Amino acid sequence: RGKMEEGKAYSPDGVFAHLEMLEARAHEAAVKQEEMEEQEEKLARLKARVQELRLQRDELRAKVDLQQKGQLGKEGVVSDPAQPSARAVLEWKIKSVKAMLQIFYLTGISGKLTKRGVCFCISTAYEGTYLDSYHLDLLTKAEVQIHRHSVPVFIPLEQIAKKYLQTDIRRFLSVLSDHLNAYAGRRYQADQLQDRFSDRIEGTLQRNSLCNLLVFNYNVSRKSKTFPFNVRLLYGDLCCSLPTEVTVSCTPDAPASLAETAAAHSDLFRRVALHKAFRSFSSAEGS
Amino acid sequence: MDVTVAEYIRRTVLKIPRDEIKTMLQKWGFLSETQLQTVNFHQIKENISQDVVQLCEENSADIKQAAALDIIYNHIYPNKRVWSVYQMNKTGEETEFFDLTDFKKKFKRRLRSALKNVTINFREYEDNAIWIRIAWGTPYTKPNQYKTSYVVYHSQTPYVFISVSVLKSNLPLLCQALVVASNYHDIREMELRSHSLNSLKDIVFKRYSQNFQTYYPRPLQEGNVAPESGDLRIIQENRNEKERIQRVNQEVFGDGPQPKLEFAQYKLETMFKSDPKMDVLDEKEPFRCLVKFSSPHLLESLKSLAPAGMADAPLSPLLTCIPQKARNYFKIREKKGFFPGSFVSP
Repeated sequence: RGKMEEGKAYSPDGVFAHLEMLEARAHEAAVKQEEMEEQEEKLARLKARVQELRLQRDELRAKVDLQQKGQLGKEGVVSDPAQPSARAVLEWKIKSVKAMLQIFYLTGISGKLTKRGVCFCISTAYEGTYLDSYHLDLLTKAEVQIHRHSVPVFIPLEQIAKKYLQTDIRRFLSVLSDHLNAYAGRRYQADQLQDRFSDRIEGTLQRNSLCNLLVFNYNVSRKSKTFPFNVRLLYGDLCCSLPTEVTVSCTPDAPASLAETAAAHSDLFRRVALHKAFRSFSSAEGS
Repeated sequence: MDVTVAEYIRRTVLKIPRDEIKTMLQKWGFLSETQLQTVNFHQIKENISQDVVQLCEENSADIKQAAALDIIYNHIYPNKRVWSVYQMNKTGEETEFFDLTDFKKKFKRRLRSALKNVTINFREYEDNAIWIRIAWGTPYTKPNQYKTSYVVYHSQTPYVFISVSVLKSNLPLLCQALVVASNYHDIREMELRSHSLNSLKDIVFKRYSQNFQTYYPRPLQEGNVAPESGDLRIIQENRNEKERIQRVNQEVFGDGPQPKLEFAQYKLETMFKSDPKMDVLDEKEPFRCLVKFSSPHLLESLKSLAPAGMADAPLSPLLTCIPQKARNYFKIREKKGFFPGSFVSP
């Protein structure tokens, strides 16, 4: 106001400048007003949302209370004839505990405390099929020791135990489980190959106890002629059920196009389970 | 065809029970189906064997095929031999890839470099078992096909099952060849012997039933306790004790069939403990004594001792530790300041 009076008292230029200044100020004020209004709107919206959520929470709480009260009511009131007997409740509890233990078993590593330590069960599975289970009876009184076990003798149990059993039992079980599961997977693939694709294999499938080296010959048909392929699968990583080295070779007199097929097959064996690879060969050639 | 080979085939066929001859020859695969059909397998074995030899003559059988037939026979009837278990050791930690061709090559090379006159044959089976048949000769004589040793080896395991016949002097050579071929460092004989090859495998491969405590619901066993139904006038006076024995027995022996062993031998080198007043032995020397338990099926009979009331349950750990310790020959020495006779040497 002070400034306004000043400008008015002096030059005509001052009036326009003054007016401009007033305009700018009015504009600023309007913008500020708008911002404030926006903020207030936002706040109001959020407050409303909070109210909504509080209402929801209260409704859910009421529901839970009702359920709990309902159950308690059933257990507490003895005289109600519709409520299940103590025996039924016990059976239900046992059933749910058994289900819980079953779930633990299905996770692959489960255990039970024994008088002298703990007994672990490692169950193996491959792509949805449950395979064998192996047990370890550990003593934990002094230092941790393996009392007895049913782990196959070709699994390097002593090596794994030497590394991890004393220091990190979780890691020990995890590493052992990896070995066992990978072995189970490799064996499953080799068995599936022998069972389901025996007509495609020439001669015997050479394998070993750990199923980490497979050598065999199989037939590939091209233009109504069959060519023998030889394949050598080396599974360098004992914790892995896919091969690390694959060598597919055909006879020297085979047509050149077959070399491409050999390379393609080699790549497939590296990426996909053995029996699945053969299934895809069969479907590709069947067409 | 070599006369010795013909005779060997003839004698091998004679060993086979008459009803099994045709199946075994089919497994052998050396004679064609049409050839086999010309043989009358209902005549006496003497004649069957002559006919078979005649057919082998037509196909010009050599010692390799004859040896294959022998392996097949021994694979089907392994219990006719006594098998010992050997354990190999190695210090390295590299992953084993076990190449069968490599194993066979190394084994033959090692054995033949020391003794040229040997016949070596291999046969592999589905369960990763490699059967090796070795017929021994001397530096100056050809291999004697009737003096054979058998080796059964499962790849990537430290255990070898050996059935040595008469020539024990060749054993070190055989062991050496095995160690070299399988990439191990040394080998030692375990104190475990039996006629039943499969039971020996069950023991060292831990395939027998061990009773592990798990939460995983197993079908509840009713046990061997007779059902309640029966004459109600009969009252089981010591039912609790009977059930306790069942339970203890099950904990110790597990639920499944026991591995088949024919004997357990305990060599005692312990002091004779008598009443001090009697002073039977003037010199305090160990009383040497050998205790041998024999049975057609030792572990099953031990399992049935307590339920039959012939022994207290639990049985002595000296008897029950047999499968777990993988031994049936024990040396028991005195342990100072301990209950005598309870120290078992490793």
